[in-house]
Amino acid sequence: MGELAKLQDAFVAMLHTGSQELIHEIEDQAPLSAMQRLEIYQNAYKIRLRGVLEQDHETLGFYLGDELFDLMLFQYIAHYPSQDRSLRQFGERLPAFLKETAPFSEHGILAEIAEFERILLRAFDSADAARLSWPELQAIDMSQWPNMILVLHPSVHFFVCDYASVESWQALKEKKIPPEADIDGSHYWLIAREVTLRTGFHPLAPLQWRCMQSIAQGMPFSMVCQSVIGEFDDEQAGSMFVIGVLQLGIQQGWFSDVHLLHGQSVSKALT
Amino acid sequence: MSVPYLGFGMGLRTCYFEQILTEQPAVDWFEIISENYFVSGGKPWHYLSQIKEQYPIVMHGVSMSIGSTDALNFDYLKQLKNTIERVNPMWVSDHICFSALGEFNSHDLLPMPYTEEALDHLTQRISQVQDYLERPMIFENVSSYLTYKQSHMTEWEFLTQLHKQTGCQFLLDINNVYVSARNHGFSAMEYLNALPKQSIAQIHLAGHQDCESHIIDTHDQPVCDAVWSLFSQFSKQLPAISTMIERDDNFPPLSALLSELEQAKALTKAHWG
Repeated sequence: MGELAKLQDAFVAMLHTGSQELIHEIEDQAPLSAMQRLEIYQNAYKIRLRGVLEQDHETLGFYLGDELFDLMLFQYIAHYPSQDRSLRQFGERLPAFLKETAPFSEHGILAEIAEFERILLRAFDSADAARLSWPELQAIDMSQWPNMILVLHPSVHFFVCDYASVESWQALKEKKIPPEADIDGSHYWLIAREVTLRTGFHPLAPLQWRCMQSIAQGMPFSMVCQSVIGEFDDEQAGSMFVIGVLQLGIQQGWFSDVHLLHGQSVSKALT
Repeated sequence: MSVPYLGFGMGLRTCYFEQILTEQPAVDWFEIISENYFVSGGKPWHYLSQIKEQYPIVMHGVSMSIGSTDALNFDYLKQLKNTIERVNPMWVSDHICFSALGEFNSHDLLPMPYTEEALDHLTQRISQVQDYLERPMIFENVSSYLTYKQSHMTEWEFLTQLHKQTGCQFLLDINNVYVSARNHGFSAMEYLNALPKQSIAQIHLAGHQDCESHIIDTHDQPVCDAVWSLFSQFSKQLPAISTMIERDDNFPPLSALLSELEQAKALTKAHWG
């Protein structure tokens, strides 16, 4: 290993583990000692990473309170150094860290709030795409509707909660007291970037969730209907329910395109 | 490589997006942080696509880590190349430093030692990167807080040699020169005077935090009088060079940055026109 590689190894070790090996490579220049000069880099490293987590997980910070949030930052930075060229990715392993590491792991809602905040960030940065409109759907002959496959907007993300994590996040954002963490059954959410570029989140009832999951899996509209129709007294009621989900999705901008089974993009063909 | 003179520019930051579009301020060009646009879509691209219709754009990276001794990160370079194709910038820059090693990223601009080994390493890497990107790169001098014992030349001697060996041009950050001069006790003017004038393609002006015993390069303050003075004196030795105000934190109203741009123009009006 060359001198340059050794020097860089020592620098990284100093930042990551606090190793003192690098100090032997640094000139003492008054008024600062070599140690003080290294500490400038150590402090900058920690401040920068803390700043990213404070910004990306501000509401988790409110939930935890200053003392626990500081502990979380300290432990996460020590054990999960940044592995990506972009700081944007630094917090990606935070939900897993909170799930696995005491005392945070004793409160499942913490990992869920962190995961929700990660999803908000992903939706914010997702690719742009057109938004499907009713006129585009109405232009498709009704006989072809069973064969149509809806394409989700790239910013659409799904999130299932076993705790009142989204409700707590929302309450803290509004400076209100969060609800009890425990809930009966799971809560289902769809997160997507709205037309205004604001990231929105929408609660889904279990059957709405099932429809949207079928759409996300690329099922044709007939199978999306089939996935829920058994829950209704008659087929027409089931179909109307699915049409309702479709209307909601169009209104919210959750779909970017529609294809026909084995066919071309309908919206592109129309334009 | 010769880059065109664009006039007086500014770092494009999210807090000014709306105002730039609605007010179309008298800024000649904008510099974006390359990595902020390594995303597929959303707000950054929404605004950039409109702003780049009205202003020339240059790209400035902070994560290439050109000086690292590990292998070049081609995932990063691929993202950079894709972004370059999408933005179509006037030129692309990064820093003479290392920031990542193996899987560890410091997200800082860590200084290189000023040695023959480092020169040869940078020469080889700059050539590889330019070949991959199929375009020349410009590299910025970083501010530093320490001196390596193994350095056996000054920073300006190192940059001069690097220019001779690679032909690459520099984004000269005059604030960084001032910060390093104060932190290491050398003359900022001696540094500037020694640089080959034809090597300078762009100038950054920025602010810092003065801690008395040392200075931290924070880009969160107005340009200080000493840096204005260096810029004013040094610009007399140069042909007109694209110059910009770089602000990265503690953002003031846009008008404050525009006033700084006016100051830069006023200081160079007599010799740059």
